[in-house]
Amino acid sequence: MTGVTVIAPPALDGCHLAPFLIEDRLGHFPEFREFFVRSFDLGRVGLARPGYLRAPSGNIYALIFIGRSGEAFPAGVEIHAVVPALEPIDEPQVDRDLWAVLRWTIDGIGGEWSVEKLQSSGRLFRIPPALDEP
Amino acid sequence: MLDLPAHIRQQWPYPPRHARVNGWRMHYVDEGSGDPVVLLHGNPTWGFLYREFVAPLTTAGYRVIIPDMIGFGLSEKPAREHAHTLDGHIANLTALLRGLDLQRITLVCHDWGGPTGLGFAFANPARMRALVLMSTWGWPLPPAEFHTRVFPWRMMHAPLIGPYLLGRHNALAGRGVYLSVVDRKRFAERAQAAYEAVLPDPASRLLTWVWPRWIPMNDTARALDRFAWLERGLRACTLPTLLIWGHADDVFDPAVFAARFKQLLPHAEGPHFVTGRHFLQEDSGPEIAAIVSDFLQRLA
Repeated sequence: MTGVTVIAPPALDGCHLAPFLIEDRLGHFPEFREFFVRSFDLGRVGLARPGYLRAPSGNIYALIFIGRSGEAFPAGVEIHAVVPALEPIDEPQVDRDLWAVLRWTIDGIGGEWSVEKLQSSGRLFRIPPALDEP
Repeated sequence: MLDLPAHIRQQWPYPPRHARVNGWRMHYVDEGSGDPVVLLHGNPTWGFLYREFVAPLTTAGYRVIIPDMIGFGLSEKPAREHAHTLDGHIANLTALLRGLDLQRITLVCHDWGGPTGLGFAFANPARMRALVLMSTWGWPLPPAEFHTRVFPWRMMHAPLIGPYLLGRHNALAGRGVYLSVVDRKRFAERAQAAYEAVLPDPASRLLTWVWPRWIPMNDTARALDRFAWLERGLRACTLPTLLIWGHADDVFDPAVFAARFKQLLPHAEGPHFVTGRHFLQEDSGPEIAAIVSDFLQRLA
Protein backbone atom coordinates (compact mmCIF):
# COMPACT_ATOMS: atom_id res chain seq x y z
CA MET A 1 0.00 0.00 0.00
CA THR A 2 1.34 3.40 -0.96
CA GLY A 3 -1.45 5.58 0.44
CA VAL A 4 -1.79 7.51 -2.81
CA THR A 5 -5.29 7.63 -4.32
CA VAL A 6 -6.75 8.85 -7.58
CA ILE A 7 -9.44 11.43 -6.82
CA ALA A 8 -12.10 13.31 -8.72
CA PRO A 9 -11.24 16.83 -9.88
CA PRO A 10 -11.24 19.01 -6.75
CA ALA A 11 -12.48 22.57 -6.38
CA LEU A 12 -9.56 24.82 -7.22
CA ASP A 13 -10.91 28.10 -5.86
CA GLY A 14 -8.24 29.90 -3.86
CA CYS A 15 -5.51 27.56 -5.12
CA HIS A 16 -2.74 27.66 -7.65
CA LEU A 17 -0.84 24.89 -9.39
CA ALA A 18 2.90 24.75 -8.68
CA PRO A 19 4.95 22.53 -11.02
CA PHE A 20 7.43 20.23 -9.27
CA LEU A 21 8.22 17.37 -11.61
CA ILE A 22 8.31 17.55 -15.41
CA GLU A 23 8.74 14.50 -17.59
CA ASP A 24 9.14 15.09 -21.33
CA ARG A 25 9.38 11.43 -22.31
CA LEU A 26 6.85 9.39 -20.36
CA GLY A 27 7.05 6.56 -22.90
CA HIS A 28 10.79 6.03 -22.58
CA PHE A 29 9.79 2.79 -20.94
CA PRO A 30 6.33 2.17 -22.49
CA GLU A 31 4.93 0.50 -19.39
CA PHE A 32 5.10 3.86 -17.59
CA ARG A 33 2.89 5.55 -20.17
CA GLU A 34 0.52 2.57 -20.20
CA PHE A 35 0.16 2.80 -16.42
CA PHE A 36 -0.95 6.42 -16.56
CA VAL A 37 -3.30 5.76 -19.48
CA ARG A 38 -4.90 3.02 -17.36
CA SER A 39 -4.99 4.95 -14.12
CA PHE A 40 -6.59 8.08 -15.55
CA ASP A 41 -8.61 6.58 -18.41
CA LEU A 42 -6.62 8.72 -20.81
CA GLY A 43 -7.79 6.80 -23.86
CA ARG A 44 -11.22 8.33 -23.21
CA VAL A 45 -10.36 11.54 -21.35
CA GLY A 46 -7.45 12.65 -23.52
CA LEU A 47 -6.48 16.25 -22.87
CA ALA A 48 -9.90 17.23 -21.50
CA ARG A 49 -8.75 17.56 -17.88
CA PRO A 50 -5.80 16.81 -15.57
CA GLY A 51 -5.67 13.74 -13.40
CA TYR A 52 -5.62 14.27 -9.63
CA LEU A 53 -3.95 12.37 -6.81
CA ARG A 54 -4.16 12.68 -3.05
CA ALA A 55 -0.87 11.96 -1.27
CA PRO A 56 -0.75 10.34 2.19
CA SER A 57 -0.19 13.82 3.66
CA GLY A 58 -3.57 14.88 2.29
CA ASN A 59 -2.00 17.20 -0.25
CA ILE A 60 -3.43 17.10 -3.76
CA TYR A 61 -1.43 16.91 -6.98
CA ALA A 62 -2.56 17.59 -10.53
CA LEU A 63 -1.09 15.50 -13.33
CA ILE A 64 -1.15 17.51 -16.54
CA PHE A 65 -0.57 15.25 -19.50
CA ILE A 66 1.27 16.54 -22.55
CA GLY A 67 0.57 15.63 -26.18
CA ARG A 68 3.27 15.91 -28.81
CA SER A 69 2.70 15.60 -32.55
CA GLY A 70 3.88 12.30 -33.93
CA GLU A 71 4.16 10.59 -30.54
CA ALA A 72 1.84 8.30 -28.60
CA PHE A 73 -0.30 10.11 -26.03
CA PRO A 74 0.67 11.17 -23.46
CA ALA A 75 4.18 12.13 -24.51
CA GLY A 76 4.89 13.75 -21.16
CA VAL A 77 3.43 14.67 -17.80
CA GLU A 78 3.84 17.51 -15.34
CA ILE A 79 3.11 16.97 -11.66
CA HIS A 80 1.83 20.13 -10.00
CA ALA A 81 1.10 20.66 -6.33
CA VAL A 82 -2.34 22.14 -5.69
CA VAL A 83 -1.54 24.73 -3.04
CA PRO A 84 -3.18 27.70 -1.36
CA ALA A 85 -2.88 30.56 -3.79
CA LEU A 86 -0.87 33.01 -1.69
CA GLU A 87 0.99 30.75 0.75
CA PRO A 88 4.58 29.48 0.60
CA ILE A 89 5.01 25.82 -0.18
CA ASP A 90 6.26 23.24 2.32
CA GLU A 91 8.91 21.87 -0.01
CA PRO A 92 10.17 19.00 2.19
CA GLN A 93 6.57 17.79 2.43
CA VAL A 94 6.17 18.05 -1.33
CA ASP A 95 9.35 16.01 -1.72
CA ARG A 96 7.94 13.28 0.53
CA ASP A 97 4.67 13.40 -1.40
CA LEU A 98 6.45 13.04 -4.74
CA TRP A 99 8.37 10.06 -3.40
CA ALA A 100 5.02 8.50 -2.41
CA VAL A 101 3.67 9.18 -5.91
CA LEU A 102 6.71 7.47 -7.43
CA ARG A 103 6.20 4.46 -5.14
CA TRP A 104 2.55 4.35 -6.24
CA THR A 105 3.63 4.53 -9.87
CA ILE A 106 6.18 1.74 -9.60
CA ASP A 107 3.79 -0.40 -7.56
CA GLY A 108 1.17 0.02 -10.27
CA ILE A 109 3.52 -0.78 -13.13
CA GLY A 110 4.82 -3.95 -11.52
CA GLY A 111 6.74 -6.62 -13.38
CA GLU A 112 10.46 -5.99 -13.20
CA TRP A 113 9.77 -2.59 -11.61
CA SER A 114 9.44 -3.03 -7.86
CA VAL A 115 9.04 -0.66 -4.94
CA GLU A 116 11.98 -2.49 -3.32
CA LYS A 117 14.25 -1.49 -6.21
CA LEU A 118 12.99 2.09 -6.07
CA GLN A 119 13.61 2.11 -2.34
CA SER A 120 17.12 0.72 -2.88
CA SER A 121 17.77 3.46 -5.45
CA GLY A 122 16.59 6.11 -3.01
CA ARG A 123 18.83 4.74 -0.29
CA LEU A 124 21.83 4.41 -2.64
CA PHE A 125 21.55 8.08 -3.54
CA ARG A 126 20.62 9.11 0.02
CA ILE A 127 17.30 10.66 -0.89
CA PRO A 128 15.75 11.92 2.35
CA PRO A 129 12.27 10.36 1.99
CA ALA A 130 13.85 6.98 1.19
CA LEU A 131 16.15 7.19 4.18
CA ASP A 132 13.20 8.02 6.42
CA GLU A 133 11.41 4.80 5.54
CA PRO A 134 11.92 1.65 7.63
CA MET B 1 29.22 32.71 -14.52
CA LEU B 2 28.57 30.17 -11.80
CA ASP B 3 30.13 30.80 -8.43
CA LEU B 4 32.55 27.90 -8.00
CA PRO B 5 33.87 27.16 -4.49
CA ALA B 6 37.36 28.56 -3.83
CA HIS B 7 39.03 25.15 -3.59
CA ILE B 8 37.57 24.30 -7.00
CA ARG B 9 38.64 27.59 -8.59
CA GLN B 10 42.19 26.93 -7.38
CA GLN B 11 42.22 23.68 -9.32
CA TRP B 12 40.61 25.26 -12.39
CA PRO B 13 42.37 28.60 -12.99
CA TYR B 14 41.92 28.60 -16.75
CA PRO B 15 40.35 31.62 -18.43
CA PRO B 16 36.91 30.80 -19.77
CA ARG B 17 36.34 30.95 -23.52
CA HIS B 18 33.04 30.69 -25.30
CA ALA B 19 31.92 29.79 -28.79
CA ARG B 20 28.50 29.90 -30.41
CA VAL B 21 27.71 26.38 -31.65
CA ASN B 22 24.42 25.67 -33.40
CA GLY B 23 22.67 28.39 -31.41
CA TRP B 24 24.12 27.37 -28.02
CA ARG B 25 26.86 28.98 -25.92
CA MET B 26 29.68 26.49 -25.43
CA HIS B 27 32.38 26.98 -22.81
CA TYR B 28 35.87 25.67 -23.41
CA VAL B 29 39.42 25.98 -22.21
CA ASP B 30 42.25 26.60 -24.68
CA GLU B 31 45.77 26.43 -23.21
CA GLY B 32 49.25 26.00 -24.67
CA SER B 33 50.42 25.73 -28.24
CA GLY B 34 51.32 22.92 -30.61
CA ASP B 35 49.29 20.09 -32.08
CA PRO B 36 45.85 20.13 -30.43
CA VAL B 37 44.73 17.58 -27.87
CA VAL B 38 40.96 17.81 -27.35
CA LEU B 39 39.69 16.27 -24.10
CA LEU B 40 36.04 15.18 -24.11
CA HIS B 41 34.02 14.42 -20.98
CA GLY B 42 30.72 12.58 -20.61
CA ASN B 43 27.80 12.35 -18.19
CA PRO B 44 27.57 14.15 -15.72
CA THR B 45 31.01 15.72 -15.69
CA TRP B 46 32.65 18.70 -17.38
CA GLY B 47 36.13 19.91 -18.27
CA PHE B 48 37.16 19.85 -14.62
CA LEU B 49 37.53 16.08 -15.01
CA TYR B 50 40.73 16.80 -16.98
CA ARG B 51 42.21 19.40 -14.62
CA GLU B 52 45.32 17.28 -14.02
CA PHE B 53 45.96 16.90 -17.76
CA VAL B 54 46.42 20.55 -18.67
CA ALA B 55 49.86 21.27 -17.17
CA PRO B 56 51.61 18.07 -18.30
CA LEU B 57 50.24 18.24 -21.83
CA THR B 58 50.94 21.94 -22.37
CA THR B 59 54.42 21.49 -20.89
CA ALA B 60 55.00 18.63 -23.34
CA GLY B 61 54.22 20.99 -26.22
CA TYR B 62 50.56 20.51 -26.96
CA ARG B 63 47.61 22.86 -27.27
CA VAL B 64 44.94 21.58 -24.87
CA ILE B 65 41.29 22.24 -25.66
CA ILE B 66 38.61 21.11 -23.23
CA PRO B 67 35.01 21.83 -24.22
CA ASP B 68 32.04 21.49 -21.89
CA MET B 69 29.31 19.62 -23.73
CA ILE B 70 26.17 21.73 -24.22
CA GLY B 71 24.04 20.89 -21.15
CA PHE B 72 27.00 20.42 -18.81
CA GLY B 73 29.69 22.38 -17.01
CA LEU B 74 29.91 26.05 -17.81
CA SER B 75 28.16 25.70 -21.17
CA GLU B 76 24.55 26.68 -21.82
CA LYS B 77 21.98 24.18 -20.56
CA PRO B 78 18.92 23.70 -22.75
CA ALA B 79 15.63 23.39 -20.90
CA ARG B 80 13.98 20.81 -23.16
CA GLU B 81 14.97 17.21 -23.61
CA HIS B 82 14.44 17.46 -27.35
CA ALA B 83 17.50 19.73 -27.60
CA HIS B 84 19.69 16.71 -26.88
CA THR B 85 20.48 14.17 -29.58
CA LEU B 86 23.69 12.31 -30.34
CA ASP B 87 23.84 13.89 -33.79
CA GLY B 88 23.27 17.33 -32.26
CA HIS B 89 26.15 16.89 -29.82
CA ILE B 90 28.47 15.67 -32.59
CA ALA B 91 27.46 18.74 -34.61
CA ASN B 92 28.16 20.99 -31.60
CA LEU B 93 31.67 19.59 -31.25
CA THR B 94 32.19 19.88 -34.99
CA ALA B 95 31.14 23.54 -34.93
CA LEU B 96 33.68 24.28 -32.20
CA LEU B 97 36.63 22.40 -33.71
CA ARG B 98 36.02 23.66 -37.24
CA GLY B 99 35.50 27.17 -35.87
CA LEU B 100 38.96 26.94 -34.28
CA ASP B 101 40.20 25.42 -37.55
CA LEU B 102 42.05 22.68 -35.71
CA GLN B 103 44.27 20.25 -37.63
CA ARG B 104 46.22 17.17 -36.49
CA ILE B 105 43.76 16.65 -33.64
CA THR B 106 44.16 14.02 -30.95
CA LEU B 107 40.77 13.32 -29.38
CA VAL B 108 40.72 11.99 -25.82
CA CYS B 109 37.29 10.45 -25.26
CA HIS B 110 35.55 9.35 -22.06
CA ASP B 111 31.98 8.09 -21.58
CA TRP B 112 29.64 10.07 -23.94
CA GLY B 113 32.76 11.84 -25.17
CA GLY B 114 33.36 8.56 -27.01
CA PRO B 115 30.36 8.44 -29.36
CA THR B 116 30.53 12.22 -29.72
CA GLY B 117 34.25 12.35 -30.44
CA LEU B 118 34.22 9.32 -32.72
CA GLY B 119 31.38 10.93 -34.66
CA PHE B 120 33.55 13.99 -35.24
CA ALA B 121 36.61 11.90 -36.07
CA PHE B 122 34.90 9.78 -38.71
CA ALA B 123 33.13 12.77 -40.31
CA ASN B 124 36.31 14.90 -40.35
CA PRO B 125 39.15 12.44 -40.98
CA ALA B 126 41.45 15.01 -42.60
CA ARG B 127 41.60 16.96 -39.31
CA MET B 128 42.51 13.93 -37.18
CA ARG B 129 45.86 12.72 -35.86
CA ALA B 130 45.05 10.15 -33.12
CA LEU B 131 42.49 8.76 -30.68
CA VAL B 132 42.63 8.02 -26.96
CA LEU B 133 39.67 6.00 -25.65
CA MET B 134 38.75 5.51 -22.00
CA SER B 135 35.69 3.81 -20.45
CA THR B 136 33.42 4.35 -23.42
CA TRP B 137 31.86 2.56 -26.39
CA GLY B 138 31.09 3.12 -30.06
CA TRP B 139 28.68 0.47 -31.35
CA PRO B 140 24.96 -0.18 -31.13
CA LEU B 141 24.52 -3.40 -29.17
CA PRO B 142 24.72 -5.16 -26.82
CA PRO B 143 24.64 -2.67 -23.97
CA ALA B 144 26.86 -2.98 -20.93
CA GLU B 145 25.49 -5.43 -18.38
CA PHE B 146 25.42 -2.49 -15.95
CA HIS B 147 23.05 -0.63 -18.28
CA THR B 148 20.59 -3.53 -18.43
CA ARG B 149 19.97 -3.62 -14.66
CA VAL B 150 16.80 -2.07 -13.26
CA PHE B 151 18.67 -1.34 -10.03
CA PRO B 152 20.33 1.05 -10.08
CA TRP B 153 20.69 2.09 -13.72
CA ARG B 154 17.30 1.87 -15.41
CA MET B 155 15.41 2.90 -12.29
CA MET B 156 17.65 5.94 -11.94
CA HIS B 157 16.60 7.50 -15.25
CA ALA B 158 13.11 6.01 -15.66
CA PRO B 159 10.20 8.34 -16.47
CA LEU B 160 9.49 10.71 -13.56
CA ILE B 161 12.10 8.95 -11.43
CA GLY B 162 14.95 10.49 -13.44
CA PRO B 163 13.63 14.03 -12.99
CA TYR B 164 13.15 13.29 -9.27
CA LEU B 165 16.40 11.50 -8.37
CA LEU B 166 18.75 13.16 -10.84
CA GLY B 167 16.84 16.42 -11.22
CA ARG B 168 15.52 17.37 -7.78
CA HIS B 169 18.29 15.59 -5.87
CA ASN B 170 21.26 15.83 -8.29
CA ALA B 171 21.96 12.16 -7.58
CA LEU B 172 24.28 11.48 -10.51
CA ALA B 173 26.60 14.49 -10.20
CA GLY B 174 26.84 14.05 -6.47
CA ARG B 175 26.56 10.55 -5.16
CA GLY B 176 26.75 8.87 -8.58
CA VAL B 177 30.26 10.06 -9.44
CA TYR B 178 31.35 9.49 -5.83
CA LEU B 179 30.33 5.83 -6.09
CA SER B 180 32.31 5.38 -9.32
CA VAL B 181 35.76 6.42 -8.08
CA VAL B 182 38.22 4.39 -6.03
CA ASP B 183 39.43 7.01 -3.54
CA ARG B 184 36.09 8.37 -2.41
CA LYS B 185 37.44 10.36 0.53
CA ARG B 186 39.86 12.27 -1.68
CA PHE B 187 37.16 12.80 -4.30
CA ALA B 188 34.69 14.14 -1.74
CA GLU B 189 37.26 16.56 -0.36
CA ARG B 190 38.74 17.82 -3.58
CA ALA B 191 36.36 17.39 -6.49
CA GLN B 192 32.75 16.47 -5.73
CA ALA B 193 31.69 20.09 -5.25
CA ALA B 194 32.90 20.92 -8.76
CA TYR B 195 30.42 18.53 -10.33
CA GLU B 196 27.54 19.54 -8.09
CA ALA B 197 28.11 23.29 -8.31
CA VAL B 198 27.75 23.52 -12.08
CA LEU B 199 24.32 21.85 -11.93
CA PRO B 200 22.70 24.04 -9.28
CA ASP B 201 19.01 23.65 -10.15
CA PRO B 202 16.80 20.74 -11.23
CA ALA B 203 16.32 22.21 -14.71
CA SER B 204 20.09 22.54 -15.19
CA ARG B 205 20.49 18.76 -14.65
CA LEU B 206 18.33 17.67 -17.57
CA LEU B 207 21.08 15.97 -19.56
CA THR B 208 22.02 13.76 -16.59
CA TRP B 209 18.87 11.70 -17.17
CA VAL B 210 18.47 12.35 -20.90
CA TRP B 211 21.87 10.91 -21.91
CA PRO B 212 21.17 7.53 -20.27
CA ARG B 213 18.02 7.28 -22.37
CA TRP B 214 20.12 7.48 -25.55
CA ILE B 215 22.12 4.36 -24.76
CA PRO B 216 20.86 1.69 -27.18
CA MET B 217 19.19 -1.12 -25.25
CA ASN B 218 17.54 -2.97 -28.14
CA ASP B 219 16.97 -2.75 -31.89
CA THR B 220 14.32 -0.03 -31.53
CA ALA B 221 16.76 2.49 -30.00
CA ARG B 222 16.75 6.01 -31.40
CA ALA B 223 20.40 6.34 -32.39
CA LEU B 224 20.91 2.78 -33.56
CA ASP B 225 21.86 3.79 -37.10
CA ARG B 226 24.36 6.36 -35.86
CA PHE B 227 25.99 3.83 -33.55
CA ALA B 228 26.12 1.30 -36.41
CA TRP B 229 27.89 3.98 -38.47
CA LEU B 230 30.34 4.52 -35.62
CA GLU B 231 31.09 0.81 -35.50
CA ARG B 232 31.75 0.76 -39.24
CA GLY B 233 34.02 3.75 -38.73
CA LEU B 234 35.95 1.92 -36.03
CA ARG B 235 36.42 -1.14 -38.26
CA ALA B 236 37.84 1.09 -41.00
CA CYS B 237 39.84 3.34 -38.69
CA THR B 238 43.63 3.44 -39.09
CA LEU B 239 44.27 6.36 -36.73
CA PRO B 240 46.89 5.69 -34.08
CA THR B 241 44.83 4.78 -31.02
CA LEU B 242 45.53 4.39 -27.33
CA LEU B 243 43.20 2.51 -24.95
CA ILE B 244 43.23 3.30 -21.23
CA TRP B 245 40.89 1.70 -18.70
CA GLY B 246 40.37 1.64 -14.97
CA HIS B 247 41.13 -1.71 -13.33
CA ALA B 248 37.83 -1.57 -11.48
CA ASP B 249 35.59 0.02 -14.12
CA ASP B 250 32.07 -0.60 -12.87
CA VAL B 251 30.24 0.65 -15.98
CA PHE B 252 32.20 -0.41 -19.07
CA ASP B 253 33.76 -3.71 -18.02
CA PRO B 254 37.25 -3.72 -19.55
CA ALA B 255 37.01 -7.45 -20.27
CA VAL B 256 34.13 -6.62 -22.62
CA PHE B 257 34.56 -3.03 -23.77
CA ALA B 258 38.33 -2.54 -23.93
CA ALA B 259 38.50 -5.98 -25.51
CA ARG B 260 35.95 -5.05 -28.16
CA PHE B 261 37.84 -1.85 -29.01
CA LYS B 262 40.97 -3.96 -29.34
CA GLN B 263 39.10 -6.30 -31.68
CA LEU B 264 37.81 -3.41 -33.81
CA LEU B 265 41.14 -1.54 -33.71
CA PRO B 266 43.77 -4.28 -33.61
CA HIS B 267 46.52 -1.72 -34.12
CA ALA B 268 45.53 0.14 -30.94
CA GLU B 269 48.06 0.40 -28.13
CA GLY B 270 46.89 -0.97 -24.80
CA PRO B 271 44.71 -1.24 -22.96
CA HIS B 272 46.80 0.39 -20.29
CA PHE B 273 45.22 -0.26 -16.92
CA VAL B 274 45.29 2.33 -14.15
CA THR B 275 43.74 2.65 -10.72
CA GLY B 276 40.17 3.72 -11.33
CA ARG B 277 36.55 2.90 -11.76
CA HIS B 278 34.39 4.60 -14.43
CA PHE B 279 35.72 8.09 -13.64
CA LEU B 280 39.34 6.95 -13.85
CA GLN B 281 40.65 10.50 -14.35
CA GLU B 282 39.70 11.24 -10.73
CA ASP B 283 41.98 8.51 -9.39
CA SER B 284 44.80 8.50 -11.93
CA GLY B 285 44.80 11.87 -13.71
CA PRO B 286 48.57 12.51 -13.72
CA GLU B 287 49.35 8.90 -14.63
CA ILE B 288 46.92 8.95 -17.57
CA ALA B 289 48.24 12.32 -18.73
CA ALA B 290 51.76 10.87 -18.73
CA ILE B 291 50.64 7.83 -20.73
CA VAL B 292 48.92 10.09 -23.27
CA SER B 293 51.93 12.40 -23.50
CA ASP B 294 54.31 9.46 -23.99
CA PHE B 295 52.03 8.02 -26.70
CA LEU B 296 51.95 11.36 -28.54
CA GLN B 297 55.70 11.87 -28.27
CA ARG B 298 56.28 8.47 -29.85
CA LEU B 299 53.87 9.33 -32.68
CA ALA B 300 55.87 12.45 -33.41
